[in-house]
Amino acid sequence: MYYPEPISKLIDSFTKLPGIGPKTAVRLAFFVLEMEEDDVLDFAKSLVSAKRELTHCSTCGNITDQDPCSICQDDSRDNKLICVVQDPKDVIAMEKMKEFSGKYHVLHGAISPMDGIGPEDINVASLINRLKDEGVEELILATNPNVEGEATAMYISRLVKPSGIRITRIAHGLPMGGDLEYADEVTLSKAMEGRREL
Amino acid sequence: MHISELSLRSFRNYNDLSLTFDDQINVIIGDNAQGKTNLMEAIYLLAFSRSHRTPRDKELIQWDKEYAKIKGSIIKRNRRFPLEIIISNKGKKAKLNHIEQKRLSDYIGAMNVVMFAPEDLNLVKGSPQVRRRFIDMEIGQVQPAYVYHLAQYQKVLKQRNSLLKDLQRKPEADRTMLAVLTDQLIEHGALIVERRFRFLQLLRKWAAPIHEGISRQLEALEITYDASVKVSEDMDLETIVPIYQEKFTDIETKEVERGTTLAGPHRDDLMFFVNGKDVQTYGSQGQQRTTALSLKLAEIELIKSEVGEYPILLLDDVLSELDDFRRSHLLHTIQGKVQTFVSTTSVEGIEHEVIDQAGIFRVDNGTIDIEK
Ligand SMILES: Nc1ncnc2c1ncn2[C@@H]1O[C@H](COP(=O)(O)OP(=O)(O)OP(=O)(O)O)[C@@H](O)[C@H]1O
Ligand SMILES: [Mg+2]
Ligand SMILES: [Zn+2]
Repeated sequence: MYYPEPISKLIDSFTKLPGIGPKTAVRLAFFVLEMEEDDVLDFAKSLVSAKRELTHCSTCGNITDQDPCSICQDDSRDNKLICVVQDPKDVIAMEKMKEFSGKYHVLHGAISPMDGIGPEDINVASLINRLKDEGVEELILATNPNVEGEATAMYISRLVKPSGIRITRIAHGLPMGGDLEYADEVTLSKAMEGRREL
Repeated sequence: MHISELSLRSFRNYNDLSLTFDDQINVIIGDNAQGKTNLMEAIYLLAFSRSHRTPRDKELIQWDKEYAKIKGSIIKRNRRFPLEIIISNKGKKAKLNHIEQKRLSDYIGAMNVVMFAPEDLNLVKGSPQVRRRFIDMEIGQVQPAYVYHLAQYQKVLKQRNSLLKDLQRKPEADRTMLAVLTDQLIEHGALIVERRFRFLQLLRKWAAPIHEGISRQLEALEITYDASVKVSEDMDLETIVPIYQEKFTDIETKEVERGTTLAGPHRDDLMFFVNGKDVQTYGSQGQQRTTALSLKLAEIELIKSEVGEYPILLLDDVLSELDDFRRSHLLHTIQGKVQTFVSTTSVEGIEHEVIDQAGIFRVDNGTIDIEK
């Protein structure tokens, strides 16, 4: 099918998004053509600024528009407790639950040799540095409950164990093999309650 | 348990088919390449969500069609429930009671099937992989959680093999991650071996007398587990784990050198002995066939004792391969208790008594006529 170049470029951009196939991309592209110009401009600006203005917090690795991020700066939160997650989306899931008052550390992935992802490719080194000077007493490992998430938790546990910091693994009230981000708030808070010592 | 209805949509050479079965014996008659095995395959697929003859699901979709759909109505403990498998280019969906099951271990086990086909001779003659698949599938259908552990094990194994490949190139690199993956491998591996031991004890208990019966008291069948890590059947999980740990410590250097995992349930095998002699090496064709048949019949009884109901039996093209004695022994064993599907090119050679009571289905190029 032939489309004028601006449209085919737009279609092409949409197909780069996850979960969007060629058919949906065409539908979205034509929808954009029907939108008010102001809305389209806002949309374009949000895309660019989301990318440009957000960085990773130099302390915890979460995405933020200020460094350190608002959670790391929040003095009312418990500095002695760090919850380690794989993804910024996991932080959002945890925060929704409103029961965790410690701080976070975002790994941005899990160790997976078959995908060429080693410990140096995820945000582990900065976690180890953080543990050296922050007076942390407990590390909660909330990586995903699949093979890679488990392995990543075990790896971190091995590194941290000598320091004497208490290490717990979030309990599997979560669907096995499922992703944390899909867990509803009830199962998640159950999982926090029942965490086990590693 | 039995399957009362089956409907197929663009599955293999069946365009649109809907059948009701006899709860005892169903005979599928047809010339070569008409769709007998395809029908058996569909029933097998409903139980295991995969084919018995191909790992590539796409082959099951009728040529030039978008998807294949298999639906069955199963009756178990006097209750009826539907099973459904939909295969498309995008993947596979499995529904139990109309609800999609995301994990194989949540689907498998609802319907139990035992299949005996000519290629089952490979159970004795073939590579260790064939025997591992046999034991894994059979445990899986009586103990669905096993399928989950097996999948976890295979995932860890893949990760560990990738890491060992990396270490092969850089042996001086940090080995913490290897230690982690070894722990993970042992966690799932030891469990798999332990479950296999428990299963073998059951299988042996049923297979020995059955084999004695089919061989007219002439042969004694023994089954042993050939383990890549020296553990034995009297051991429990707590005993197996440290032996595994020791083994992996011993072979670490070798594993890094070779860049792959050298021990574990993926390297184990089963061995069959008749009157003390290894059937794979010394058995005649007939002995190998009898051994395979005994194992299949043992499975039927095993499932009955574990699940509480007899499984559905699929006999694809095997009746004609058995001599008169074995054939009538087989038919006698299943009579009146096991819903059975028998495929054949002609009814000659099958006892009239059986045929008289059976549902007869004539297959002709993807269409089926019910004769009775
Ligand atoms: N994906 C498919 N789409 C359409 N037809 C197919 C497909 N796969 C296989 N077939 C056809 O199905 C037929 C084979 O059916 P099947 O294997 O059930 O034969 P059979 O009746 O068991 O024969 P035999 O007695 O030789 O074992 C072949 O004619 C083949 O071309
Ligand atoms: Mg066939
Ligand atoms: Zn932060």
